[in-house]
Amino acid sequence: MSRNCDDALANLYLYLDSELDGMSAERIRTHLQACGGCSGPFDFELRLRAVVRDRLDVKVPEEVVARLWGALRGQGSG
Amino acid sequence: MADQADFERDAMQFTRQLYSAALRMSRNAADAEDLVQETLLKAYRAYHTFQEGTNLKAWLYRILTNTYINKYRKDTRRPSEVDLGDVEDLYLYRRIGSEDSADMARTTEERVLDGLVESDIKEAVESLPDNFRMAVLLADLEGFSYKEIAEILDIPIGTVMSRLHRGRKAMQKRLWEFAKKRGLVPEDAERP
Repeated sequence: MSRNCDDALANLYLYLDSELDGMSAERIRTHLQACGGCSGPFDFELRLRAVVRDRLDVKVPEEVVARLWGALRGQGSG
Repeated sequence: MADQADFERDAMQFTRQLYSAALRMSRNAADAEDLVQETLLKAYRAYHTFQEGTNLKAWLYRILTNTYINKYRKDTRRPSEVDLGDVEDLYLYRRIGSEDSADMARTTEERVLDGLVESDIKEAVESLPDNFRMAVLLADLEGFSYKEIAEILDIPIGTVMSRLHRGRKAMQKRLWEFAKKRGLVPEDAERP
């Protein structure tokens, strides 16, 4: 574990959430390309997030959308 | 200021996203539809106060979130009083990585990510106390930035970050329990 590793892990969520400024993000990106120990957790967190998003994806039926806006049009004009 | 006549044209595109978020908040379809209906009506009535050119999606989510909180929230405990327990960082990854070889850990990672089913993930998210769940939903499912979440929930950015951090860890802890229950990880994977 180098200081670069500490830096990368401390900023893991900020990096994955795209909340770092360009230079800091670039610094971590460079480190991840060189460090297998750090790219492991970054990859895993990213994949986990994608799995959560995909498996919770809701197919919203067309009739729900139609019902919502139909009701609103009724209310809005009234 | 936005023109009320343009509301449908401008807001229609967010209906599905609002409904999905409402479903994750309220946990059932009937309440979700009520929530979105009320949100759209409030938004329509207040649309003349919306600053054109600002973030309409975040504005709608703010109304949705407030509507949910006022209508359904039973859990009135302050977030500081909610005990999520002491969960280590990168909980799931570290547990899986406690296996003997890197190859084995890699295989287990795949098995866990493939093997966790919708109901596991749903329950892990829904088990979070409201304040944490909202932050996790808005960030990880809806893709809002910290600043947008701070505006939607009307809390400081630092609070967004701490709720997200703790919420994600608590969620991973639940997912680990499901992974064990489903036999996705070796019996002896959990070590002191």
